[in-house]
Amino acid sequence: MEQKDKLFKEIFDSNSKKIFHLCYGYTGDTDAANDLLQETFLKVWQNLDKFRNKSLISTWIYRIAVNTCLTYLRSEKRQAKDELTENIIENKIEEFSEKNEQVALLYQCISKLEENDRLIITMVLDELPYHEIADISGISEGNLRVKIHRIKQKLTELYNQYASV
Amino acid sequence: MQAFDQIQELWQKHEVEVKFSADEMLQQAKKEVNGLKFKSALNIIGMAISFIAIAALWIFFHFDSWTTHLGISITVITIGVYTLILYRDYRLIAQTDFTAHPQEYLNNLKTYQLNRYKLYNSLYWFYTIALSTGTIFYFIEILSYLSTIQKVIAIGFTFIWILFCSTILRKAVMEREKERISLLIEKFERISNQITAP
Repeated sequence: MEQKDKLFKEIFDSNSKKIFHLCYGYTGDTDAANDLLQETFLKVWQNLDKFRNKSLISTWIYRIAVNTCLTYLRSEKRQAKDELTENIIENKIEEFSEKNEQVALLYQCISKLEENDRLIITMVLDELPYHEIADISGISEGNLRVKIHRIKQKLTELYNQYASV
Repeated sequence: MQAFDQIQELWQKHEVEVKFSADEMLQQAKKEVNGLKFKSALNIIGMAISFIAIAALWIFFHFDSWTTHLGISITVITIGVYTLILYRDYRLIAQTDFTAHPQEYLNNLKTYQLNRYKLYNSLYWFYTIALSTGTIFYFIEILSYLSTIQKVIAIGFTFIWILFCSTILRKAVMEREKERISLLIEKFERISNQITAP
């Protein structure tokens, strides 16, 4: 058990920031991102013995995090919260807009994307290799490249549109 | 006009801070389960104290009538049986570590929820009828020592108390517990389902 705990701590320390960034990009809310991060790593801890090194451990964790994010807001219990996501983002933006207006704007633009697109672009922004993103999201690499191109365009458009207002 | 590269740079420069460590994360997750365990244990302790307090009547008081002894016996046995049922349910959630055996824990949690439902429904009425019978036998001798007003107060208070516990309190506790366990089940189910089909 000690060995497992030690391994888990190493995995948590080396991956938690990236996963939190993914969750934060998806929800735009610190509390929700923390919940998702906790749920993701709880699954990692429970299933560490089942990990078979077929893929990178980071890919495996990302896959869990993506599923966690998608299921979290789709869950019936959180429908009401889901509808509020955009409001949460808007409110949070007001909170830290003085500190960093551009970052706030970026999160606002990400929140305007489709759920899946939000997750994909977050991984692109974090410079994950395309083959890994394809593996995580279950899309063929060819289709993913087209999708990413389209999401990049949309995000850039949104960003420039909001920035000019 | 910003290009995507600049947006990416902006994203990467934005430092995020994870608020908890690996240890804290596991502790937090365990806290919810421990909360349920703690409440269940408190329930048992409360029942055990009632058991001792009522049984202690035999030590501190002398009763002449057999009806009083029968009344106390029925009450003590009923509380004892109910405490054992509570303890059996407590073991269901206390025995399995949900972080080590998630599926087994989830199954136990479902059984626990079902048992609690029975406890607050069919079993509760047996409990109430047995306690009321015990109280009636107990009162036969005890009330003879009291004045009429005291008799009315004692009977009235007991009746109102049993009625309150059987209706308002029972429903409120049942609802709250059902919601709490359902949320836990929902959470663990979500975790288990996602991991088997990532």
